[in-house]
Amino acid sequence: MELLGQALISGLLNGLVYSLIALGLSLIWGVMDIVNFAHAEYLMLAMFLTYWLWALAGLDPLLSLPIVVPVLFLLGVGTYHAVIRRIVEAPMVSQIFTTFGLFLVLRYGAFALWGTEFRKVEDPLLEGSLLLGPFHVSVPKLAAALAALLVFLALHLFLTRTKTGKALQATAQDREVALSLGIDVQRMYALAWGLGIASVGVAGVFLTTFYFVEPQVGTAFLLLAFASVTLGGFGTVLGALVGGVSIGLLEGVFGALVSPTFKLAFVFVVFILVLLLRPRGLLGEA
Amino acid sequence: MARSWTRRAFLRAMGAGTAALSLSAVWPFGLKAQEPVRIGAVYPLSGGLARTGAAIKATLEFTARIVNEPHPQLAPIPLAEGAGLTGLGGRPIELVFADSAGDPATGRAEAERLIEEEGVVALCGAYQSSVTKTASIPAEARGIPFVNFESSSPTLTERGFKWFFRTGPHDGVFTRLFFDMFDDLNARGQTIKRLAVLSEDSEWGASAVEVEKQLAAERGYEIVAVEMYTTPPASLDAELLRLRDANPDALLGHQYLPGAILVVQTLKEMGWFPPGLVVHDAGYVLPDFLKTVGADGNYIISRATWALALQERKPLVKAVNDLHKERVGTNLDGVTARGFTGLITLADAINRAGSTEPEAIRQALVETNIPGEALIMPWKGVEFDEKGQNKHASGVMVQILEQQYKLVWPFDLAETEIVWPAPGWGER
Amino acid sequence: MRALGGIAALGLVGGLVAFPWLVEGSFPRHTLITLLMYAALAQAWNVLGGYAGQLSFGHAAFFGIGAYTSAVLLRDLGLTPWLGMWVGGLLATGVGLLVGYPCFTLKRHYFALATLALGEIARIAFTHWKFVGGSLGIDLPLRYLNQGAYMMWTDKLPYYYVALGLAALATAVVLVVDRARLGLYLKAINQDEEAAANLGIDVRKYKLVAMGLSAFLTGVVGAFYAQYVLYIDPKNTLILPISVKIVVIALVGGRGTVLGPLLGAALLVPLSEYARTYLGGLGRGYDYLLYGLVVMLLAMREPRGLVALLARLGERAAAKPAPQRPRPAVADVTTKTTKAGAEATPRGEGRHGAA
Repeated sequence: MELLGQALISGLLNGLVYSLIALGLSLIWGVMDIVNFAHAEYLMLAMFLTYWLWALAGLDPLLSLPIVVPVLFLLGVGTYHAVIRRIVEAPMVSQIFTTFGLFLVLRYGAFALWGTEFRKVEDPLLEGSLLLGPFHVSVPKLAAALAALLVFLALHLFLTRTKTGKALQATAQDREVALSLGIDVQRMYALAWGLGIASVGVAGVFLTTFYFVEPQVGTAFLLLAFASVTLGGFGTVLGALVGGVSIGLLEGVFGALVSPTFKLAFVFVVFILVLLLRPRGLLGEA
Repeated sequence: MARSWTRRAFLRAMGAGTAALSLSAVWPFGLKAQEPVRIGAVYPLSGGLARTGAAIKATLEFTARIVNEPHPQLAPIPLAEGAGLTGLGGRPIELVFADSAGDPATGRAEAERLIEEEGVVALCGAYQSSVTKTASIPAEARGIPFVNFESSSPTLTERGFKWFFRTGPHDGVFTRLFFDMFDDLNARGQTIKRLAVLSEDSEWGASAVEVEKQLAAERGYEIVAVEMYTTPPASLDAELLRLRDANPDALLGHQYLPGAILVVQTLKEMGWFPPGLVVHDAGYVLPDFLKTVGADGNYIISRATWALALQERKPLVKAVNDLHKERVGTNLDGVTARGFTGLITLADAINRAGSTEPEAIRQALVETNIPGEALIMPWKGVEFDEKGQNKHASGVMVQILEQQYKLVWPFDLAETEIVWPAPGWGER
Repeated sequence: MRALGGIAALGLVGGLVAFPWLVEGSFPRHTLITLLMYAALAQAWNVLGGYAGQLSFGHAAFFGIGAYTSAVLLRDLGLTPWLGMWVGGLLATGVGLLVGYPCFTLKRHYFALATLALGEIARIAFTHWKFVGGSLGIDLPLRYLNQGAYMMWTDKLPYYYVALGLAALATAVVLVVDRARLGLYLKAINQDEEAAANLGIDVRKYKLVAMGLSAFLTGVVGAFYAQYVLYIDPKNTLILPISVKIVVIALVGGRGTVLGPLLGAALLVPLSEYARTYLGGLGRGYDYLLYGLVVMLLAMREPRGLVALLARLGERAAAKPAPQRPRPAVADVTTKTTKAGAEATPRGEGRHGAA
């Protein structure tokens, strides 16, 4: 029972982190119908930025949040204007192809700049664990999970309460209608990229407090993010949340109770089953 | 480029092996005495292990310089005193590096390229066991000695190869050390009986797990849990939860760097530390490991082929390490010290062969007998058995104490007392 | 025109047969073998991903199944890989159909993502399956070394010809698909699935045929690879980068065309092999960086791949000296493919399907 409880807690916390990573993927996917294969590389860039701010300027990751997130926002908008804008109308194949090239460029660009060294922020403000009855709760992961919830809440409010947010949603639902309503679709796309990459930036900052930084760090998270997005139903903000948490819980509980060795295989099997039985995801609309 | 695209005679192309042989046979004719003896070295210079590859490369170049230039202060080490290979009129050795990218097929192709195009007389490499496995195949087929320094898969020397030699210890030897240490600790009144294993699912990890299971059965220990994961893991929560649940007396680990870092962090978050965390060096002994985990790495016990503390008892170790620090900028470690020793062994064999004829070098390798005093390793010497394995290759156990690797076992070599059981997180 | 094409084709084949004799040393030959192997793999992928438009990111699974099947048959039964490779291909086909049957209801990204996950499941399964050596993999029995009857040599030359044969086989299959009714159906499915179904095309059946052919060829090439490296484990047969490399080669060259995958392999394989030799020694991954830039630029400038890019350049060159002459020929081909139901895009992806 204690094992299950602990597995649920760590599954939930990991799941919230996965969902925060998945959020940007889902947003861009939903608004533009583009799968960004380079998504996890922005996570990597955010982590490096956080690390360098700590290593060179002595800034704790928590305090670098106001720097990293805007920079990532601009990076997202910049990527849209420099690259993605040119392939909005292109067939899906060339879109996949472009973001895959982007993935290689970002990852191996980082590789060329910083090498394969593993870096880690030492003694961050967020460290250690809390004792909750018999259960240990990791402080940095708890913080990351809370941050994820806040980001989701903020984004939800933005999308439903502001004019720009509503315009973004309209663009996601139907581009033609959005155009006819006089919405600047290009601007919406750029905004989706900015917000999507900024949210993965938040994940990057928090991840840096408990995970190592290196150019290939994205690998482990990319497939989990894909699975989360598809499981939850892409394009919906809530879907990424539900998908990510489900993946985390599935992984944690199956891993602890049955076999950690096959936890990823299990996650992928569930993922395929959902695809086949409910291709719109758990929360996606028909 | 031009070299590769010139027309080649029909027969030469048919029998690339014989071509390589005849090439090395005519090599000495018409060449100056100082023509270097070329040794091929296949290492992962790009990809995930690029950093390790670069460290090995730097140490091997350092070693070649010791062979090629007079270093009388390192006298007992073969070839250190004179300049070059004295048995071949003072010819220097030259290392030709090739990048395996950590991939077995690439490693093999690069080994072939080194043999045929670069005219190397012997090969060394390739760090990862899986790459060593394939890179040594062309050497065997073409009759060129392949000396491995640092791959630890026991299967490598079980293939019946005639041209393959390994100077370093394999996982069987290392794992035996674990159990020898447990026996010694039990004799001192500890109770170590139930073991658990956390391993990455690579060739290296899986073969080490097999050896551990087998030895545990032979020596009366019980393996209560085995968990394996694919590296790099996004989290190890589930794995370590299950292992904690099994409540072992000692946790054995095989991790490369990402896994090693994550293990320590996850253990800390869980508030659990096994009485003994006993690991195969790999990720736990790279400089980046302690830099990253800091004091949280304390009390981990690792196998080691080598420890800097050996310099307290062996002045030779200090002399070599000081020079290494001066020229390369880092201390030697378990991997690079093995590389140093291995390359010296190979150069010594070529020197004794008195020729670059592959068969002569092979024969000299078979007859190798370097005494322990001439080594920087804690070994009784270098001498190959009929399988090409150095029978004296062995190791020591070190424990991380106050963020330093301290030699703690064998007890008679120990620089400090082993801490067992390790204190929990709250008591540190 | 036709005679000229025939002579060119004959010249190409002759050149390929004679090529290794002009090239000294194992390394360039290794590059050639790798090139031909990936050309064959990209062609195999092309049937499914190019013609039928079903993007698979899990082809490493078929590659691995072929490699493991033939290796196990050799290891346990002493069956020569000359036969084992076909068994491997058939097994890959079986798995492909089994997977394809449910997954072909998925569209667009979903199919790509499902195959991505399936590839990973295969890798995890093989990594922990004791019978195939788990992560220790399989050492092919070296007692057969230098026995042509067991497809195991120390020399590179015979491997080159086997690889050439496989690339030719895969290209021939694609050529037949391209010319046959199957190709028309697949292109129609690629173009618009619902429209194809309305025309009375059994969409799932033809997708399955494409999957079967594609998996079969990939499995056969996998068996060849096992013989070539003589050591297989999940890390050199079943990992995602292999699937991705196959896809990228076909995409860069031009999917859905006969020449595209060949061109893609001819460009990208030597690029990565030689970039590694000359730049890789620096240990900084510059080769992959370059690779990524090429992929990205091509995707933005000419999404239909090199074949289309070359065609455009050729057109431009031809248009200057004699503006009228090439027009009818191009128009002729275009109408042909349009009738065939290929994507009749302004830049003409289908145009070179018939070239």
